[in-house]
Amino acid sequence: MENFLIGLFLATLIIALFTTRLYRLLMWYSLNSLTLGALALLIGSRLDDGAMLLTGAATLVLKGGLIPWVLKYLSRRFGLRRQITPNIKTQYAIMLVPAILVFTFYLAEPISHMVAANANNVAISISSLFLALLLMMEHTNIAPKIVGFLMMENALFLLGTTATEGMPMLVELGIFFDLLMAIVVINLLLRHEEAAS
Amino acid sequence: MMLTVLLLPALIMFAASFWRTPNARRLLPATSVAILVPIVELFRLPKPYALWRDYLVADDLNTYILLVSSIVGIGVTLALLTLQKHVTVTERAYRRFYRFFALFWVGLIFSILANHMGIYWIGLEMATLSTVYMIKTNHTPAAHKEAWNYMIVGAIAISLVLFGIILIYASAKPALGEDAMLFSALQSRSGVIRAPFLFEMGFAIVTVGMFVKMGFFPMNLWLANIERASFYPVAALFSGILESAVMVGFFRFSRIADSVNHAHLFFFVFVYALLTLFIVAFLIYRSKDFMRLFSLSGIEHMALIALFWVSGGTFAALLHFGAHAFLKPALFLSTGVLESQGRYHIAGALRGYKGVKGTLFWFLVSLFMLAVISLPPSPMFFSELYGFGAMIDAAKQTHHLLAMIGAIGLLLVLLSVIFYRFVAVYQSMKYEGETVEKEVYASELWALLLFAAALVMLLTPSGMAFLRSVA
Repeated sequence: MENFLIGLFLATLIIALFTTRLYRLLMWYSLNSLTLGALALLIGSRLDDGAMLLTGAATLVLKGGLIPWVLKYLSRRFGLRRQITPNIKTQYAIMLVPAILVFTFYLAEPISHMVAANANNVAISISSLFLALLLMMEHTNIAPKIVGFLMMENALFLLGTTATEGMPMLVELGIFFDLLMAIVVINLLLRHEEAAS
Repeated sequence: MMLTVLLLPALIMFAASFWRTPNARRLLPATSVAILVPIVELFRLPKPYALWRDYLVADDLNTYILLVSSIVGIGVTLALLTLQKHVTVTERAYRRFYRFFALFWVGLIFSILANHMGIYWIGLEMATLSTVYMIKTNHTPAAHKEAWNYMIVGAIAISLVLFGIILIYASAKPALGEDAMLFSALQSRSGVIRAPFLFEMGFAIVTVGMFVKMGFFPMNLWLANIERASFYPVAALFSGILESAVMVGFFRFSRIADSVNHAHLFFFVFVYALLTLFIVAFLIYRSKDFMRLFSLSGIEHMALIALFWVSGGTFAALLHFGAHAFLKPALFLSTGVLESQGRYHIAGALRGYKGVKGTLFWFLVSLFMLAVISLPPSPMFFSELYGFGAMIDAAKQTHHLLAMIGAIGLLLVLLSVIFYRFVAVYQSMKYEGETVEKEVYASELWALLLFAAALVMLLTPSGMAFLRSVA
């Protein structure tokens, strides 16, 4: 089940790379976060780790629901462009994605000799990080760049939950706090764009 | 208790930013001076002193960095008093600026004092996000664009840092449990890390994130662009405080990496810093305005500090660090005055200052500019001497003496390119161009005098002795 969810996580991220509509992209981000939250709940209940259950629930609510909703609200309010065409052509992106995956598995290969469990999860997390970076790079619009940044945070969370079996509670709450502050700052930045135009 | 007193000036600043009278900001420099009281007390307390359990711990290294950053903070609040005389800034933007400055300061106090990788990261992220808005307080399209740029690039850099932190944590968690988040535990028990490859991969990612944040190769120009587009105090905060906080993280992480595998650490940082210096030297050679000149030279200093630190020249690195943290904000703040009669005019920038205040101003700026390029008796001169000495010592132990002498030769060539450019700029500022009358205000002069006094303090025997004791 855990592997299934991790696969789903990666799949939503890869589909997001090819999306050309903003609201669809937000939906994929939401699904990506939901799989992450479910994964955290699953691992948390297996380890009987209260802190991880809490962060899993917070992920479901904040990242799966609230943040996509706020972004959709903001994009509607400030009239952001909904047509978002990636700068990298699909045929090249199709080649790039597996290349990144293979490279990260190669990078994580020595780890599998050192730690018995979770070497693949480390590889998938690193590839998610690179894929999220690719998402940020392939768009010139601001909205997909923001989603790319949020997806990158998800990749970090995936690494935190799967490779280390949970970060300390303090850190995870701090990350949530920073994420919310990022949204506030994004809101302020967009507001000024409106005021300037 | 101590922590509350440390955070108090920032909290007062935050509260005062909601106060709608222009007089509120007169209060702030006085309040920010109050931060020196707990810091002086921290110097006297036995080290390591726990401020908040194992999470925030003051030792010699971070107390010194906190002192340096606080002096910069005080100087910036002083200079902010008369910012609107040089640039157009609305009262509302001013208040916003102070609000985010306060958040920035809180974040940095946390990250400088952190003994916990997670708290270090949270503080840094908070500072990054608040800077985004400080850039934006300048109402120009360029500032708006750069604020977005900073949001994206800064976020990528900081995410890389967290990613690396998680990998480091994963490498040590089987042996140390949740203590694997503590710098002190990792440092004292680095032998138990069972997956050194994982650790080193984490360290490499952390370092790349930090270096990107400081504008190292290949992101040399983004910091310069941002500092150009924002108000002058933002640039001063960037180079004086934010880079210091990033550097303290680098110091701590690299100490652990040093005990895991010294050769890998040295090679990685050495190549990265040399590449950065190579590019930065030529970018400085081509730069056509003050902000770019100073911000690129800041990158050069950071690269040298990293180089000296990994070569084992702790004293040289810390002296260079202190000198950079005082000189660069002083220069950025004076840029505000120098450019107040139209931008980018290097020729004649130091002319047209009348009276005692004016003379003192151009004299101080000249001194700072010549000190930045390590003309003796600048602290930078001594730090570079000791730093190169440390590099030779490090090379002797590894039998790569010839390669190191070659590298030092290259470094000296690059530094002399920078030296040449700065001297040319200085001469153009003083002896060319037309004389246009310009105004200097007392608050700005006080800020510059504060930095000058701090620089002299670094060179006093007791200052030097303290830096030597931080090992």
